[in-house]
Amino acid sequence: MAPQLTLQAPLELPPQEVPDYLGRLWEGEQEQANGASTFSLVVWEPAWIEQQLVRLGRLTGPINGLERPELLQAAREAIPVCGLPPSTSPLAPELAWQLGQLPGDASAEDLRGQQVDAAISRHQPRRLITLAPTLDGHRPLETLVAAYCPLPEEGPMTSVCGDVVVMRGGLGALEHGLQMVNPLISAELPCWVWWNGCLDEAPQLFEAVSQAPRRLVVDTAIGSPARALEVLCSRAASGQAISDLNWYRLVSWRESLAMAFDMPSRRDALAHVVQLDIDVQGHQPVQGLLMAAWIADRLGWQLEHTSKAEGEGILASFRRPDGAPVRFRQMPVPVGTPSTHPGSLVGLRLVCEPEGRTPLCVILCGETGGCMRLEAGGMARLELVEEVVATAVESSQKEVSRTLRGGHDSTNPLLCAAAPLAAKLLPN
Amino acid sequence: MTATLTNPLRVGLRQERVISPQCLVIFGASGDLTHRKLIPALFELFRQRRLPSEFAVLGCARRPWSDEEFRAKMEQALAPVIAEDPAAWTTFCGGLFYEPVDLQKDEDVVRLGKRLEQIDRQRATRSNRTFYMSVSPNYYGSGCRALAAAGLLADPKRSRVVIEKPFGRDFASAQDLNRIVNSCAKENQIFRIDHYLGKETVQNILVLRFANTIFEPIWNRNYISSVQITAAETVGVEERAGYYESAGALRDMVQNHLTQMLALTAMEPPGRYEPESIRNEKAKVLQAARLAEEAEPWKCCVRGQYGPGGNSADPLAGYRQEPGVDPNSTTETYVSMKLFIDNWRWQGVPFYLRTGKRMPKRLSEVVLTFREAPVHLFDSAGAGPTANQLILRIQPNEGADFRFEVKAPGSGMRSRPVDMDFSYDESFGEPSDEGYVRLLADAMLGDPTLFTRSDEVEAAWRLYTPLVELIEQQPWQLPVYPYEARTWGPAAADSLLARDGLLWRRP
Repeated sequence: MAPQLTLQAPLELPPQEVPDYLGRLWEGEQEQANGASTFSLVVWEPAWIEQQLVRLGRLTGPINGLERPELLQAAREAIPVCGLPPSTSPLAPELAWQLGQLPGDASAEDLRGQQVDAAISRHQPRRLITLAPTLDGHRPLETLVAAYCPLPEEGPMTSVCGDVVVMRGGLGALEHGLQMVNPLISAELPCWVWWNGCLDEAPQLFEAVSQAPRRLVVDTAIGSPARALEVLCSRAASGQAISDLNWYRLVSWRESLAMAFDMPSRRDALAHVVQLDIDVQGHQPVQGLLMAAWIADRLGWQLEHTSKAEGEGILASFRRPDGAPVRFRQMPVPVGTPSTHPGSLVGLRLVCEPEGRTPLCVILCGETGGCMRLEAGGMARLELVEEVVATAVESSQKEVSRTLRGGHDSTNPLLCAAAPLAAKLLPN
Repeated sequence: MTATLTNPLRVGLRQERVISPQCLVIFGASGDLTHRKLIPALFELFRQRRLPSEFAVLGCARRPWSDEEFRAKMEQALAPVIAEDPAAWTTFCGGLFYEPVDLQKDEDVVRLGKRLEQIDRQRATRSNRTFYMSVSPNYYGSGCRALAAAGLLADPKRSRVVIEKPFGRDFASAQDLNRIVNSCAKENQIFRIDHYLGKETVQNILVLRFANTIFEPIWNRNYISSVQITAAETVGVEERAGYYESAGALRDMVQNHLTQMLALTAMEPPGRYEPESIRNEKAKVLQAARLAEEAEPWKCCVRGQYGPGGNSADPLAGYRQEPGVDPNSTTETYVSMKLFIDNWRWQGVPFYLRTGKRMPKRLSEVVLTFREAPVHLFDSAGAGPTANQLILRIQPNEGADFRFEVKAPGSGMRSRPVDMDFSYDESFGEPSDEGYVRLLADAMLGDPTLFTRSDEVEAAWRLYTPLVELIEQQPWQLPVYPYEARTWGPAAADSLLARDGLLWRRP
């Protein structure tokens, strides 16, 4: 479905006039339209890679912050140009930084916040506020407001409408304009804040916008792993509702691993794991660490030691409830066609040695990667279970849509338990 | 049975569809279905994190309760469950509300609308509502009319109506009720519950048939000689005499639950796994079904009524001695019958249905008996070679059993039957949801796959109309045979199969 546009051309207003204007927006002619009693959504939408690619003339506009196929294709083509490894994800922040070193001055219309992905507009947000930082750090603040009414497919012709507010400018201007944001967010409706960028790129702004009880949506696949895990842990521990798109992408992997041990004859083996190996794409370790942490938490392991391994891997040792050790190793591996999201799981191997029985080895492979590294070495003596994990690659907007649809005002308990352990697994 | 280890990786892991923010309105909330089934099911959904935070339950009934009274009564009824997770109950309970409403009064319905708007603002439920009619069947039609008149069913994407069984008393009344309900809302807004469809094992009939290549080629008249469908209860009428006296086993169990199992067993594969495709096929097969003797239905149906039984340690009263039952009652507590399905797949294959109260075991099953081998090459170690059977255990001990002949150990070539067994409990790392958990979730999701459509309901009633008319107009043609409590029914039921050289399966 194509993104939906706002009902009218956005009106540029001075920031101080925005609240009054929005208060008057539905009076007069719009008697048949009701404001949606749904939720507010604040989006941090830097779209750095898209802005850079447009600036370099490698992508035509408009800039809209959506993960369109042309953007991903242009990003993939730019990776070798920037001298980055082939396994670099097209949405990796380092690509944006490298692109920023190249000369270019093309431009295009900026429609961030005005073109709304249908996956999100379908939920009829009451108010959608987009914070759109520009490449020009000195650009003054512009504020745009518009009405937004998805047409009902059937049923009464009464529309359930909302409005959009776009704040666009340099980082400094946005921070200065932040005082405008809070009054625009209804205290009566839930509010989500989707930080669609690195968690360390605008810390002051992030802290100001993302306070509880707002429900935070982040992606720990982007940016500094330490900062990402720190935010995840601290916000979850404080009781704030936080969703991590990177964690969500592990759904199929968790399900596949659980399925491997559904057979009653295998369940006992889970108490006798001796080795866990995880391969991830590229050098972003967080998704792999979250998977390892989830397994450790579910099986009651205690972390004893973690360190860097040769080749930017991670080595750790756990202690099982019965006191026996478990070796853990996570390695970055190159892949031919990197996934859209950095650090995606490529493969997992779990080796169990139940007493008096044939050792069991469970290998899960991603659809797009190979598992040759995990399949190598001494398999003949093991009972081998190998499964391919089907993973659907979705845009971040679709992933966020799922969070909005069935939102909770608390963090998923499994994530709450896994995040601190994942943070501890990250070597200093 | 030894206890099976649970799978620790399964905890909290369900990949279930997410229910959207909404308000579930329960009419008849002071009745026992609400505290026995609905609120426990909702609490279970809440504990599984399948309900969003923006969710509310509005209980409605004529009793003048307040929000607090309603919450207190639900807490009392669910005390054993709440003890497992009191913190979860505290949070869940905050979303329970109550409004005294008589749907027959316009002013009450207006007040209901205002209360719903208030809840929308309070709980951000997005004007999305599911209306659950847990009321007497006499009020289904008028209740739907009242909701429609108040505009509460106007938006087909954000309003749904769930209606409990029975849907009508016969074909004519079911048609009338469908006309009324369909004048108030679109068909895709109407969810007619048959709680058997909420059972994993009933849904598994579809998966077993259509996810495997080995069954479909033999699932027809060329290989199957007969099908038995049984729903047996050990309980008596208990406290339902008021309803049961006017319903009987035919209306209470056969027209809905057994017919749904029949439809799933006999239907053609749907083109896609979509609600309408599946319901199309179910309706088609029911339209092709008929009583084995439509002109003389007494020849293919047996009715029974349980009498006293049990033993000296545990004596059981007969149906006529139960509280609330007419001492001269002729309501059947047992029905068995023979059906045919006149289509290319099933022509000539008898389907035997039976259900009864106060039987020796509580069980529901579908048994497909295959044709015998054309030539018996081997002697049997038993009385004779047995026909292959596929037994789908709906409850208890949910699973499936395939019975076939193998060589008996020894120097000769003799065969004996063995069972290849699949058990849900043993094969999966977690228990299945209770039926209402699944059905409530699907209704709130707007997925009608597990609910019956208007044409299905009417086809089911039309199928049994000769029996219903016979019972009402010439009851002596279909007498009610007594059977001792805790037995498998009257002897006349055995004769029904004996005429075809068959026996009822003794589970």
